[in-house]
Amino acid sequence: MQKLYINPLPVRIWHWTNALGFVLLIGTGLQIRYLDLFQVLSFKSAVVVHNWIGFVLIANFFVWLGFYLFTDKIKVYHPELSPTKYFRASFKQIQFYGYGIFKGDPNPHHPNAYVKFNPLQSMMYQIVMMLLVPLQFFTGVLLWDVARFSSMVEMFGGVRIVDTVHVLLFIFFSGFIIVHIYLGSLGHTPSAHFKAMWNGYEEVDDPAHSGH
Amino acid sequence: MKVAWVSGNGRSLPCRMSFLTAAVVAVVLSVTGLAARAADSSDLSDETKACLKCHDKPGEVKKLDNGEKLSLHVSTKAFLDSMHNATDCEDCHSDIDGDTHGKKKSAIASKREFSLSMQESCRECHKKNFAKYDDSLHATLVKEGSKDGRKDAPLCSDCHNSHTLHSVKIIVPIAETPCAQCHEDIFKAYSKDVHGIERVAKGKRAPICADCHKSHDVTAASLGDGIKDACFACHKNSVEQHKDWLPNAALHFEAISCPVCHAPDAERRVNLRLFDNVANRQMSEKTGVPQFEKLAKAADEKNVGLDERALWSLLKDFSQEGSQGKTVLRGRLEVRSGVQAHQISEKSKAISDCNICHQKGAAAFQSVSLTIAGPDGRPIRHGVQKDVLNSLLATESVRGFYAIGSTRIKLLDYALLLVFLGALSVPLGHMTIKRLFKGVREKREAELAAVRLEAGNKAESSDRRAGDDTSN
Repeated sequence: MQKLYINPLPVRIWHWTNALGFVLLIGTGLQIRYLDLFQVLSFKSAVVVHNWIGFVLIANFFVWLGFYLFTDKIKVYHPELSPTKYFRASFKQIQFYGYGIFKGDPNPHHPNAYVKFNPLQSMMYQIVMMLLVPLQFFTGVLLWDVARFSSMVEMFGGVRIVDTVHVLLFIFFSGFIIVHIYLGSLGHTPSAHFKAMWNGYEEVDDPAHSGH
Repeated sequence: MKVAWVSGNGRSLPCRMSFLTAAVVAVVLSVTGLAARAADSSDLSDETKACLKCHDKPGEVKKLDNGEKLSLHVSTKAFLDSMHNATDCEDCHSDIDGDTHGKKKSAIASKREFSLSMQESCRECHKKNFAKYDDSLHATLVKEGSKDGRKDAPLCSDCHNSHTLHSVKIIVPIAETPCAQCHEDIFKAYSKDVHGIERVAKGKRAPICADCHKSHDVTAASLGDGIKDACFACHKNSVEQHKDWLPNAALHFEAISCPVCHAPDAERRVNLRLFDNVANRQMSEKTGVPQFEKLAKAADEKNVGLDERALWSLLKDFSQEGSQGKTVLRGRLEVRSGVQAHQISEKSKAISDCNICHQKGAAAFQSVSLTIAGPDGRPIRHGVQKDVLNSLLATESVRGFYAIGSTRIKLLDYALLLVFLGALSVPLGHMTIKRLFKGVREKREAELAAVRLEAGNKAESSDRRAGDDTSN
């Protein structure tokens, strides 16, 4: 096994802050929306905590954005411009998760510091980080003070529509986190990817012994 | 004798300051000879004195055509104490001919007819207030003839006795408030609420009817934000104070009327008001064109309340016919009646627990109505099914009204459940299949190990042979 440093410190700080924040946002979001089902916090406390965590995560988002904008590591988010190449690699990856992994096939993706994500991750994280997360923060800020942003809320179709978008994204992220944690356990050992995101080093097969 | 007290400006000046001011004013007035004195009969004109000579006889009445008895008594003392003491009788009663008055019988149909005939004389001096009155709900009701069984809508003399009129700066006991004559139930509620109690028991200048509803330019209380503005006139920092503890305070102020929280025992309802988004004003029915009722009844044939589809089609109809621009709904949470709006409690009893409204089944959202302002400004309502507030199909119709938890869209709850179960089934399913394939993987690993072992053995034996060759 070879150790590759693929998760720099700012990324790791951002990731774990984001992870904790999203779990808390989902928890307080559930409390805000489903007060009739359970009451761990009062509605008001849940709203206040939800708002504060939201702002912390917005600041945290800029840690992520700043790191990637001002370092060459932004390459990990560069999309594959050849559709044929992209879809072929994606298909291989789907084939691995859907069948090969059960037989014990090796993971077709070999990460390095500049090609960290497999094709599926690459597509998903581009959508999540550049569209869905900012949209969730944006709708969250609008809902934080609807009267202050009333003209913008009205422009997007009213508070009910802004809230519906916020809730749809909340539903997506709730599902995303569950699947994300599971996929994180599919390294060469169940804890390999978690350790990599904790200490920065991903253990990969030595090319000489990888059998490929 | 009833006690009247003269109001201050609502603020208590420091004692020393008020004493000094009073002393200075008294000295100045006495020196200049301008000190106020009560009017006496010498101030009256000879004509007025002549009128009062006959009319200052208690019990003097005139029998009217409808059998009512009109009092002809005018107390000289009360008249001298009144705001009209500088006015001559003939200024208002200019139609009276001195030569025939009292000798020739004149026919008066009723007290109401007499008041109506005298109405114009008020306009002569009180042009500003009369113009306001002309545009008021009261004047509209007078023009309509109060035909729908209500008490007669007020004319000037119903609120102001022209012969005993006092300055509005003099606070009279609340029982003398003329509004109470028609709005009895509301007045009873008011007298027990925090404003009424302050006014009666503590003798403070707490608001009474006209302070919130205005006296001459009275409009329907449910129209626009009129009454809320009246609250802010005294409670100036209320938005800021609410911001200290209430998330989204400004939105709450927009979407909720003050009594919803400050009259904690009141019943509440959601009022979806038709709003002209282009003209930026609440929509109202035109006189003689009862479009709202016609369209609402057509959309709600079974009369069970409008559902989301009916509401949507009604909005479309209004956008085409009713307003020049797009018709939308502006939702507002309010109390169900004027009486309940006057049951304001002490601040400490106001609702401040968010849980009361922000959960499924909250009482405040169990009644929903669609409203348009009638030609006189008063609301015309039609029932709406409460489930509309939780329907995805009504997202566009009621887009401006949303209370977290209580008016959440049901379909999103199912979507959340589905995604949650789906997301859980991914790892569970994947792990299950992985377990099922365990044998395959182990067999493959064993084969690989065997291959590696064989390859290793081969390499070892060839190394050994190479070693033997070297040693030989």
